[in-house]
Amino acid sequence: MNSIRYKLSGVTCSVLQAANFRPAYIQCRLYSGPTSFPDFFKNPIFRKEEQAKLIEINELSKLAISPVKPPGVSETSSVYYDPLVNKLINHVMKMGKKQLARELVEKAFENVKRIQIERYHLASSAEAKAKIILNPKDILHQAIENCRPLLQLLPIKRGGIVYQVPAPITEKRSLFLAIKWLLDATNDKERTIHFPQQFAWELLDAANNTGKVVKRKQDLHRQCEANRAYAHYRWQ
Amino acid sequence: MRLNPVLFTAPSSKNARRPQREPVPFQMLLPLRLKKTVSGKGDKVKEAACMQEMAVMFACFKKAEFDQQQCLKEVSSFQSCYKDYNERAKLQREQGRKGILVPGEKNLTHRQLNQLLKSFPPKV
Repeated sequence: MNSIRYKLSGVTCSVLQAANFRPAYIQCRLYSGPTSFPDFFKNPIFRKEEQAKLIEINELSKLAISPVKPPGVSETSSVYYDPLVNKLINHVMKMGKKQLARELVEKAFENVKRIQIERYHLASSAEAKAKIILNPKDILHQAIENCRPLLQLLPIKRGGIVYQVPAPITEKRSLFLAIKWLLDATNDKERTIHFPQQFAWELLDAANNTGKVVKRKQDLHRQCEANRAYAHYRWQ
Repeated sequence: MRLNPVLFTAPSSKNARRPQREPVPFQMLLPLRLKKTVSGKGDKVKEAACMQEMAVMFACFKKAEFDQQQCLKEVSSFQSCYKDYNERAKLQREQGRKGILVPGEKNLTHRQLNQLLKSFPPKV
């Protein structure tokens, strides 16, 4: 019953809320963010591979008796599901217009595919053809991997002077910066060039380990190297 | 004739501002024994992690003109070092927060120390 209730549309949800029909702890997906459910609600396991892993270690029976949050609309067990693409779409999204964001990203993927297929057919030898990545999602993964910074500069105050101190960076923050830099580089374009076109070029450049974003990463690393004398100011 | 005001304002021998005279008598303001707990103030200072690995990586970067592809070994060692450090710190924080005592642990947090002092109170 509960699982059905979670999947109700927003309208029904608000109607139910108004009628005080739901128990107090059940929230609608209208409320975004991790706080809309109490702590004891488990995160949903919606991928078949992860469920198989849980079955192997006999954890699924434990999970089955505890309340579970409903998965998001984009969290599916489809073969096309890719958490990185989801994340990217959410970064592209403005004012909650997810459908538009998804269309833009998919159009960019189409552009990448077109450019790569053109290169594939122009390539003369079989070896050169084998080297060209045709899957745009692979290109995205490669691009983001190449854009991830290894270090960050933290402002730390010592003796009245703020030093920019190089420090290691967490996985999560480096992913955030990579996506943000890619989008920054994309939005820095002529008005007549549209987002999908520019984003496709940026992705291909970054996947090739060249371009604005990779240069930005290297500039950060250079600055970290120049400030390495301050590294001992970081007492974690 | 005006008298010098210094003569009147200088602390007399009964004034609290008089200069101290040796030997200074000892007054016991607090009982002369240690508290049964320790405060957590000293726990704040920690070492900067992975300095060695960072220095090695910087040296490689400088040699390779900041091309990451040529320094894969250094980069992976730096990242694994930071990952290890984070995991260790997280474990220590959790155990310290709960005050769980790990046998053989050398660096105890103040909560762990308090736990130990509570279970084996010092004799007065």
